[in-house]
Amino acid sequence: MDAQSSPIRFTREAFFQGARVMMPLMPGMWLFGLAFGAASAQKGFSWLEAGLSSGLIFAGLAQMVALEGWRQDWTVPSLLALAVLTFTVNMRHLLMAASMRPWFAPLPAWKSYPTLFFLADNNWAATMRYYSQGGRDAGFFVGSGAFTWLMWVLSSMAGQVIGGGLPDPKAVAIDLVVPAFFIAMLVPNWKGRREAIGWGVAAVVSVGASFIVPGWWFIFIGAVSGAVAGGFVDDKPR
Amino acid sequence: MTSPADPGTLLDLGTLAAIGVMAVMTLFNRMAGFMVMRFIPLTPRVRRILECLPGAVIVAIVAPAAAHGDIAMAAGLAAALVAAKLLKSDFYAVMAAVVVGAGLRFIGV
Repeated sequence: MDAQSSPIRFTREAFFQGARVMMPLMPGMWLFGLAFGAASAQKGFSWLEAGLSSGLIFAGLAQMVALEGWRQDWTVPSLLALAVLTFTVNMRHLLMAASMRPWFAPLPAWKSYPTLFFLADNNWAATMRYYSQGGRDAGFFVGSGAFTWLMWVLSSMAGQVIGGGLPDPKAVAIDLVVPAFFIAMLVPNWKGRREAIGWGVAAVVSVGASFIVPGWWFIFIGAVSGAVAGGFVDDKPR
Repeated sequence: MTSPADPGTLLDLGTLAAIGVMAVMTLFNRMAGFMVMRFIPLTPRVRRILECLPGAVIVAIVAPAAAHGDIAMAAGLAAALVAAKLLKSDFYAVMAAVVVGAGLRFIGV
């Protein structure tokens, strides 16, 4: 059914193309993964637990944030609090997944839902640029995601084994790597008035919310405001 | 005590439970956004909103990071913007940010 009208393909070429696009991130991502692994060792993680954390959760920011309040004994209330924390930190994934709908809707559910496991910030951003430039091969999404996943798991386990002694991530500006990559994904998407309004609203609202609203809501609030504002900028009549 | 807590256990049940809870919640977020859109008809307006969403998400992550960061962060991200625009290269954008950011921090800005 999905072969006739659906424009979705899955090729090995796009898989490797997706993996290649992630390359500029790798030095920074490895250092981040090593730092997570080392920090997890401080909290008593074994190399296996560090690997399971990265392999099953696959969301660096949430893993890092959760580590700050990590406990030796988990009770039901503390697990519930952890669930809420994870949900709020990762709320942006709700929006990222929603943006995949127009593309993946024709896929049968048993294909689209498992594929979404690979949805992470960096490869999603790369995939959205690929899509906006006309790319429709799902191999790109899976390839960029699987490659990122593998590197994230390996770097976390390596960091747990190595422990401390890593360079200070701020001194070598590792905290700039991901935002800079995001900017590179964003720039080609600029088309005009709709972006000016949508992105402008997103910027103002998210920055404002980040000072007023506690926690991680600012991403969600800013992004939804910006997208809705941009969506109400109608296409120019011809 | 600075030594790592409880060394030697390869797989602790409590830790595994906590990792499991986080994994389920993360997967829920990844799938729920896609599922909800199943029940919202893709009118032209909704399509335009979804089209605008990726850029808005990225801006809502980057702009607060820049606003809360130091001068090196802002200058580094500005360098990335210029490099991405002029050189159309992801690699140079990331390099520009790191070189400018690390350089400014090194000289103590």
